[in-house]
Amino acid sequence: MSLFEALGEGLMVTVIGLIIVFAVLIILMLVMMLMKVVFYKPQNDSHHVPSQQVPAPAPVPAAPVEESNMDETELIAVLTAAVAASLNTSTYHLNIKSYRRIENTSPAWNKAGLKDVIDARF
Amino acid sequence: MFQSFIDFMGSTGIAAMITNAKDAIAAGASGFDQFVAVIGTPLMIAIACVLLYLAIVKKFEPLLLLPIAFGMLLSNLPMFANSGAIMMHTEFFTDPAYMIDGHLDMQRIFSEGGLLDLLYLGVKLGIYPPLIFLGIGVMTDFGPLIANPKSIILGAAAQLGVFLTFLGALVLGACIPAINFGVKEAASIGIIGGADGPTAIYVTKTLAPALLPAIAIAAYSYMALIPVIQPPIMKLMTTKKERCVVMEQLRPVSKTEKIIFPIVVTIVVALIVPDAVTLVGMLMLGNLAKECGVVERLTKTAENGLMNTITIFLGLTVGATAKASTFLTAETLGIIVLGLIAFCFSTAGGLLLGKIMYKLTGGKVNPLIGSAGVSAVPMAARVSQTVGQKENPANFLLMHAMGPNVAGVIGSAVAAGVFLSMFS
Repeated sequence: MSLFEALGEGLMVTVIGLIIVFAVLIILMLVMMLMKVVFYKPQNDSHHVPSQQVPAPAPVPAAPVEESNMDETELIAVLTAAVAASLNTSTYHLNIKSYRRIENTSPAWNKAGLKDVIDARF
Repeated sequence: MFQSFIDFMGSTGIAAMITNAKDAIAAGASGFDQFVAVIGTPLMIAIACVLLYLAIVKKFEPLLLLPIAFGMLLSNLPMFANSGAIMMHTEFFTDPAYMIDGHLDMQRIFSEGGLLDLLYLGVKLGIYPPLIFLGIGVMTDFGPLIANPKSIILGAAAQLGVFLTFLGALVLGACIPAINFGVKEAASIGIIGGADGPTAIYVTKTLAPALLPAIAIAAYSYMALIPVIQPPIMKLMTTKKERCVVMEQLRPVSKTEKIIFPIVVTIVVALIVPDAVTLVGMLMLGNLAKECGVVERLTKTAENGLMNTITIFLGLTVGATAKASTFLTAETLGIIVLGLIAFCFSTAGGLLLGKIMYKLTGGKVNPLIGSAGVSAVPMAARVSQTVGQKENPANFLLMHAMGPNVAGVIGSAVAAGVFLSMFS
């Protein structure tokens, strides 16, 4: 194949190939946009209440810390993050004053089910 | 007893190496063929060891490079011709003298083939790459793409490298007589730019089987080098202001959308590029299995057991096709150079469209996510994240970059389909 032929053939394939690839993906883009119109219902944002001072929720009553040999700052950081995530707010708005372990009284099967769900996510 | 000891010595690998070298010289082959016959075996073993070093110590895609390198080692061990211990007969798959009317002589492969010959049938018949795609489908989350459909265009733009390298390979073949690249070879080399190992192998085994080891090794090595290759190009092509753009948060995607997406993509791709359906279809089957959530056992197998098994078979046999006579050539050097060019152009193509989208949206799109359009998931997206965070530590581009990234997988599979329909 001469250089001239190679350039001609190569350019033709390049242009046609790129057009096909773009065409397919643009069609997919349109399909996705259509899917958004048909299937996506934006949730009303009324129950989003960030930016106010939320007092530390679940374990409010101050109780003596049970396991003082643990790395506390790390545990508190984890707890703060978990509370922030469940309240849909930022950790800046939270101030953990105390925490306390609550006995897990749910039935063994519930615990097993929960563990299964958690494992499946990893 | 002494005689049996001598017989045993005559059957060792050392004797085989010396005999093979002598035979080649006696046969009066040309200079280069003699050179390959004499030092080919030790040289290939040395290359295999270098690749093993890269996989184990440098951690270059070790999951693939390790089996590839070891397969290369296994098939280049010195053996007597016609020895029953030969694990891989590449000539059964490439040499017309061993075929029947241009088709594989299955009878011969089953009766005379070694372990790797039989496993290689999975590559040759196009079984392994689609099964790998099944596993990739399970691991892929198309959510970021569905949330931001425009990012799919970036996955198309990143296929620029594929086609420009195709052009480059043709020109190189025309300019340098030692390199013999026709359209089929050029297409196989170009697809390296898709940064997608299984796709590159799928195209090459059909169009240019002799180049398979070089192309697979180039594709996987450059994929491992993406964090080195991409950032300089990204910095060169974007301004600091563009790199600092913080993109707005993606909308949540409903389960219905995630379930419908793989079905629709399979149908749309089949309607336009049927040759891409083997790859795209398996990818989408894996994804659908994950998203529908009712076949957890299947998805677990597809992404773990099945995928790992196939990875071992694929790596081992692709490596085993690297024989001295086909690997130690000017073509291999050409592929290594062109492969790098392909990666660079693909990155540039994505960035270029990223910049256009930045302009069109009035600065809402960070062009850095464009480079993630090459389909090395999730490495390319992570590079976008890292480069973006260097300019603005509070900027999280990862999820935005995952959109073009998974679009790149679809894009390169479509590009592969285009080549297959044109040249096979």
